[in-house]
Amino acid sequence: MPTPTKGPRLGGGPAHERMLLNNMARSLFINKSITTTETKAKRLRPIAERLVTFAKRGDLHSRRRVMQSITDRNVVHELFVNIAPLVAERQGGYTRITKLGFRKGDNAPMAVVELVLDPVQAKKMNKKPKLENAVKAAPKAAAVVEEAVAETPVEEVAVETAAPEAVVEAPAEAPVAEASATEVVAEAPAAEEAPAQDAATEEAPASEEESK
Amino acid sequence: MPVPKRRMSRSNTRARRSQWKAAPITLVKSIENGKTVYSLPHRAKLVEDSSGNALFMEYKGRKVADA
Repeated sequence: MPTPTKGPRLGGGPAHERMLLNNMARSLFINKSITTTETKAKRLRPIAERLVTFAKRGDLHSRRRVMQSITDRNVVHELFVNIAPLVAERQGGYTRITKLGFRKGDNAPMAVVELVLDPVQAKKMNKKPKLENAVKAAPKAAAVVEEAVAETPVEEVAVETAAPEAVVEAPAEAPVAEASATEVVAEAPAAEEAPAQDAATEEAPASEEESK
Repeated sequence: MPVPKRRMSRSNTRARRSQWKAAPITLVKSIENGKTVYSLPHRAKLVEDSSGNALFMEYKGRKVADA
Protein backbone atom coordinates (compact mmCIF):
# COMPACT_ATOMS: atom_id res chain seq x y z
CA MET A 1 0.00 0.00 0.00
CA PRO A 2 1.34 3.44 -0.82
CA THR A 3 2.44 5.44 2.16
CA PRO A 4 -0.07 8.19 3.00
CA THR A 5 1.26 11.60 2.08
CA LYS A 6 2.07 14.15 4.71
CA GLY A 7 1.45 17.84 4.40
CA PRO A 8 -1.08 19.70 2.29
CA ARG A 9 -2.87 18.11 -0.64
CA LEU A 10 -2.08 19.03 -4.20
CA GLY A 11 -4.60 21.26 -5.91
CA GLY A 12 -7.52 22.61 -3.92
CA GLY A 13 -8.24 19.69 -1.61
CA PRO A 14 -8.26 15.92 -1.21
CA ALA A 15 -10.79 15.33 -3.96
CA HIS A 16 -8.96 17.68 -6.29
CA GLU A 17 -5.70 15.86 -5.63
CA ARG A 18 -7.28 12.47 -6.33
CA MET A 19 -8.70 13.64 -9.64
CA LEU A 20 -5.49 15.41 -10.55
CA LEU A 21 -3.31 12.38 -9.93
CA ASN A 22 -5.74 10.04 -11.65
CA ASN A 23 -5.71 12.25 -14.70
CA MET A 24 -1.92 12.34 -14.61
CA ALA A 25 -1.86 8.54 -14.46
CA ARG A 26 -4.18 8.50 -17.46
CA SER A 27 -1.84 10.78 -19.39
CA LEU A 28 1.09 8.62 -18.37
CA PHE A 29 -0.54 5.48 -19.75
CA ILE A 30 -1.43 7.26 -22.97
CA ASN A 31 1.92 8.94 -23.60
CA LYS A 32 4.24 6.54 -21.67
CA SER A 33 6.19 9.59 -20.49
CA ILE A 34 5.07 12.90 -19.01
CA THR A 35 6.87 15.98 -17.71
CA THR A 36 5.65 17.51 -14.44
CA THR A 37 7.05 19.06 -11.30
CA GLU A 38 9.07 16.89 -8.99
CA THR A 39 6.43 17.01 -6.26
CA LYS A 40 3.65 15.81 -8.54
CA ALA A 41 5.91 13.17 -10.03
CA LYS A 42 6.66 11.74 -6.61
CA ARG A 43 2.96 11.74 -5.67
CA LEU A 44 2.01 10.13 -8.95
CA ARG A 45 4.44 7.25 -8.75
CA PRO A 46 2.67 5.05 -6.13
CA ILE A 47 -0.74 5.63 -7.70
CA ALA A 48 0.37 4.77 -11.23
CA GLU A 49 2.29 1.70 -10.09
CA ARG A 50 -0.73 0.45 -8.16
CA LEU A 51 -2.80 0.68 -11.33
CA VAL A 52 -0.15 -1.23 -13.23
CA THR A 53 -0.25 -3.92 -10.57
CA PHE A 54 -4.00 -4.25 -11.12
CA ALA A 55 -3.39 -4.44 -14.84
CA LYS A 56 -0.89 -7.25 -14.39
CA ARG A 57 -3.50 -9.25 -12.46
CA GLY A 58 -5.72 -8.69 -15.46
CA ASP A 59 -9.07 -10.08 -14.28
CA LEU A 60 -12.45 -8.39 -14.47
CA HIS A 61 -12.48 -7.31 -10.84
CA SER A 62 -9.13 -5.57 -11.12
CA ARG A 63 -10.27 -3.94 -14.33
CA ARG A 64 -13.29 -2.54 -12.50
CA ARG A 65 -11.00 -1.31 -9.69
CA VAL A 66 -8.93 0.58 -12.26
CA MET A 67 -12.06 1.92 -13.92
CA GLN A 68 -12.90 3.59 -10.61
CA SER A 69 -9.92 5.91 -10.95
CA ILE A 70 -9.39 6.09 -14.71
CA THR A 71 -12.80 6.52 -16.26
CA ASP A 72 -11.59 6.10 -19.80
CA ARG A 73 -12.22 2.65 -21.28
CA ASN A 74 -9.74 3.08 -24.08
CA VAL A 75 -6.91 3.96 -21.70
CA VAL A 76 -7.74 1.07 -19.37
CA HIS A 77 -7.81 -1.25 -22.37
CA GLU A 78 -4.43 0.08 -23.45
CA LEU A 79 -3.09 -0.43 -19.94
CA PHE A 80 -4.37 -4.00 -19.62
CA VAL A 81 -3.63 -5.19 -23.14
CA ASN A 82 -0.46 -3.36 -24.18
CA ILE A 83 1.35 -2.17 -21.08
CA ALA A 84 0.74 -5.05 -18.67
CA PRO A 85 2.48 -7.75 -20.80
CA LEU A 86 5.57 -5.53 -21.12
CA VAL A 87 6.00 -5.31 -17.36
CA ALA A 88 4.89 -8.86 -16.61
CA GLU A 89 8.41 -9.91 -15.66
CA ARG A 90 9.09 -6.78 -13.64
CA GLN A 91 8.58 -6.98 -9.89
CA GLY A 92 7.57 -3.43 -9.11
CA GLY A 93 9.28 -0.22 -10.10
CA TYR A 94 7.21 0.31 -13.24
CA THR A 95 7.92 4.02 -13.41
CA ARG A 96 11.10 6.01 -13.59
CA ILE A 97 11.51 9.61 -12.42
CA THR A 98 14.35 11.67 -13.84
CA LYS A 99 14.96 15.18 -12.59
CA LEU A 100 15.32 17.65 -15.40
CA GLY A 101 15.85 21.24 -14.37
CA PHE A 102 13.90 24.30 -13.38
CA ARG A 103 10.86 25.66 -15.17
CA LYS A 104 11.32 29.05 -16.69
CA GLY A 105 8.20 30.74 -15.35
CA ASP A 106 8.31 29.90 -11.66
CA ASN A 107 11.65 28.08 -11.25
CA ALA A 108 9.82 24.90 -10.21
CA PRO A 109 11.98 21.77 -10.31
CA MET A 110 10.73 19.61 -13.16
CA ALA A 111 10.94 15.86 -13.69
CA VAL A 112 10.06 13.27 -16.28
CA VAL A 113 7.90 10.33 -15.23
CA GLU A 114 8.05 7.44 -17.66
CA LEU A 115 6.91 3.86 -17.74
CA VAL A 116 9.78 1.40 -17.69
CA LEU A 117 8.81 -0.78 -20.62
CA ASP A 118 12.25 -2.17 -21.45
CA PRO A 119 12.68 -5.92 -20.97
CA VAL A 120 14.00 -6.73 -17.53
CA GLN A 121 17.77 -6.85 -17.58
CA ALA A 122 19.10 -9.99 -15.95
CA LYS A 123 20.50 -8.56 -12.76
CA LYS A 124 21.26 -12.08 -11.56
CA MET A 125 24.59 -11.84 -13.36
CA ASN A 126 25.47 -8.96 -11.12
CA LYS A 127 24.02 -10.54 -8.01
CA LYS A 128 25.86 -13.85 -8.26
CA PRO A 129 29.36 -12.42 -8.40
CA LYS A 130 28.43 -10.10 -5.59
CA LEU A 131 27.35 -13.06 -3.48
CA GLU A 132 30.50 -14.94 -4.38
CA ASN A 133 32.52 -11.89 -3.55
CA ALA A 134 30.68 -11.58 -0.30
CA VAL A 135 31.35 -15.21 0.52
CA LYS A 136 34.95 -14.84 -0.50
CA ALA A 137 35.33 -11.54 1.22
CA ALA A 138 33.89 -12.82 4.47
CA PRO A 139 36.59 -15.48 5.12
CA LYS A 140 39.23 -13.03 3.97
CA ALA A 141 37.93 -10.46 6.39
CA ALA A 142 37.83 -13.08 9.11
CA ALA A 143 41.38 -14.17 8.27
CA VAL A 144 42.53 -10.57 8.30
CA VAL A 145 40.89 -10.07 11.66
CA GLU A 146 42.51 -13.21 12.98
CA GLU A 147 45.86 -12.09 11.70
CA ALA A 148 45.39 -8.73 13.25
CA VAL A 149 44.40 -10.36 16.52
CA ALA A 150 47.40 -12.66 16.29
CA GLU A 151 49.73 -9.77 15.56
CA THR A 152 48.53 -7.37 18.18
CA PRO A 153 49.26 -9.52 21.27
CA VAL A 154 52.80 -10.10 20.03
CA GLU A 155 53.29 -6.40 19.61
CA GLU A 156 51.78 -5.73 22.99
CA VAL A 157 54.05 -8.32 24.58
CA ALA A 158 57.03 -6.83 22.80
CA VAL A 159 56.07 -3.38 24.01
CA GLU A 160 55.54 -4.65 27.53
CA THR A 161 58.87 -6.46 27.58
CA ALA A 162 60.63 -3.46 26.13
CA ALA A 163 59.00 -1.04 28.52
CA PRO A 164 60.22 -2.57 31.82
CA GLU A 165 63.75 -2.75 30.46
CA ALA A 166 63.65 0.90 29.61
CA VAL A 167 62.22 1.64 33.04
CA VAL A 168 64.91 -0.47 34.67
CA GLU A 169 67.64 1.11 32.63
CA ALA A 170 66.47 4.66 33.05
CA PRO A 171 66.59 4.79 36.88
CA ALA A 172 69.89 2.92 36.86
CA GLU A 173 71.42 5.48 34.55
CA ALA A 174 69.83 8.51 36.16
CA PRO A 175 71.45 8.22 39.62
CA VAL A 176 74.83 7.65 38.03
CA ALA A 177 74.46 10.80 36.00
CA GLU A 178 73.25 12.70 39.07
CA ALA A 179 76.11 11.35 41.15
CA SER A 180 78.68 12.34 38.56
CA ALA A 181 77.10 15.79 38.30
CA THR A 182 77.24 16.28 42.09
CA GLU A 183 80.82 15.11 42.15
CA VAL A 184 81.75 17.62 39.48
CA VAL A 185 79.92 20.39 41.34
CA ALA A 186 81.59 19.39 44.59
CA GLU A 187 85.01 19.35 42.99
CA ALA A 188 84.66 22.68 41.25
CA PRO A 189 84.13 24.88 44.34
CA ALA A 190 86.71 22.85 46.22
CA ALA A 191 89.33 23.61 43.62
CA GLU A 192 88.49 27.31 43.72
CA GLU A 193 88.38 27.53 47.52
CA ALA A 194 91.45 25.44 48.14
CA PRO A 195 94.06 28.14 47.73
CA ALA A 196 92.13 30.69 49.86
CA GLN A 197 90.87 28.58 52.79
CA ASP A 198 91.84 25.59 54.96
CA ALA A 199 90.97 21.95 54.46
CA ALA A 200 88.36 22.18 57.26
CA THR A 201 86.32 24.72 55.33
CA GLU A 202 86.52 22.53 52.28
CA GLU A 203 85.03 19.57 54.14
CA ALA A 204 82.14 21.58 55.51
CA PRO A 205 80.35 22.32 52.21
CA ALA A 206 80.95 18.74 51.15
CA SER A 207 79.27 17.43 54.30
CA GLU A 208 76.36 19.82 53.77
CA GLU A 209 75.87 18.52 50.29
CA GLU A 210 75.90 14.96 51.55
CA SER A 211 73.27 15.78 54.13
CA LYS A 212 71.13 17.34 51.49
CA MET B 1 -4.41 44.75 15.51
CA PRO B 2 -1.10 44.25 17.36
CA VAL B 3 1.28 47.17 17.30
CA PRO B 4 4.94 47.16 18.42
CA LYS B 5 5.35 48.76 21.85
CA ARG B 6 8.72 50.32 21.14
CA ARG B 7 10.57 51.56 18.14
CA MET B 8 13.15 49.02 16.96
CA SER B 9 16.64 50.43 17.02
CA ARG B 10 18.68 50.96 13.89
CA SER B 11 21.29 48.63 15.34
CA ASN B 12 18.87 45.76 15.89
CA THR B 13 17.37 46.18 12.45
CA ARG B 14 20.76 46.07 10.79
CA ALA B 15 21.92 43.16 12.95
CA ARG B 16 18.89 41.15 11.81
CA ARG B 17 19.37 42.01 8.17
CA SER B 18 23.03 41.05 8.28
CA GLN B 19 22.12 37.45 9.19
CA TRP B 20 20.59 36.80 5.77
CA LYS B 21 23.25 34.79 3.94
CA ALA B 22 23.37 32.62 0.89
CA ALA B 23 24.45 29.01 1.42
CA PRO B 24 26.75 27.33 -1.09
CA ILE B 25 24.98 24.76 -3.27
CA THR B 26 26.24 21.21 -3.68
CA LEU B 27 27.80 20.63 -7.06
CA VAL B 28 29.37 17.65 -8.75
CA LYS B 29 32.74 18.17 -10.38
CA SER B 30 33.41 16.27 -13.56
CA ILE B 31 35.86 16.56 -16.42
CA GLU B 32 34.43 16.46 -19.94
CA ASN B 33 36.72 16.78 -22.95
CA GLY B 34 39.42 18.26 -20.79
CA LYS B 35 37.15 20.92 -19.30
CA THR B 36 36.17 20.89 -15.65
CA VAL B 37 32.38 21.09 -15.40
CA TYR B 38 30.34 21.69 -12.26
CA SER B 39 26.77 20.42 -12.34
CA LEU B 40 23.87 19.63 -10.03
CA PRO B 41 23.79 16.05 -8.75
CA HIS B 42 21.11 13.60 -9.96
CA ARG B 43 19.86 15.87 -12.70
CA ALA B 44 19.59 15.32 -16.43
CA LYS B 45 22.04 17.25 -18.58
CA LEU B 46 21.45 19.05 -21.83
CA VAL B 47 23.30 17.57 -24.77
CA GLU B 48 24.43 20.07 -27.39
CA ASP B 49 26.02 19.64 -30.79
CA SER B 50 29.31 21.27 -31.75
CA SER B 51 27.70 24.59 -32.64
CA GLY B 52 25.88 24.86 -29.30
CA ASN B 53 22.37 23.90 -30.42
CA ALA B 54 20.41 22.02 -27.79
CA LEU B 55 19.62 18.45 -28.85
CA PHE B 56 18.05 16.58 -25.92
CA MET B 57 18.23 15.93 -22.19
CA GLU B 58 20.34 12.98 -21.18
CA TYR B 59 20.82 11.16 -17.90
CA LYS B 60 23.13 8.17 -17.36
CA GLY B 61 23.52 7.60 -21.07
CA ARG B 62 19.76 7.53 -21.64
CA LYS B 63 17.79 10.09 -23.59
CA VAL B 64 15.22 11.45 -21.16
CA ALA B 65 13.42 14.34 -22.83
CA ASP B 66 13.57 16.69 -25.77
CA ALA B 67 15.29 20.00 -25.30
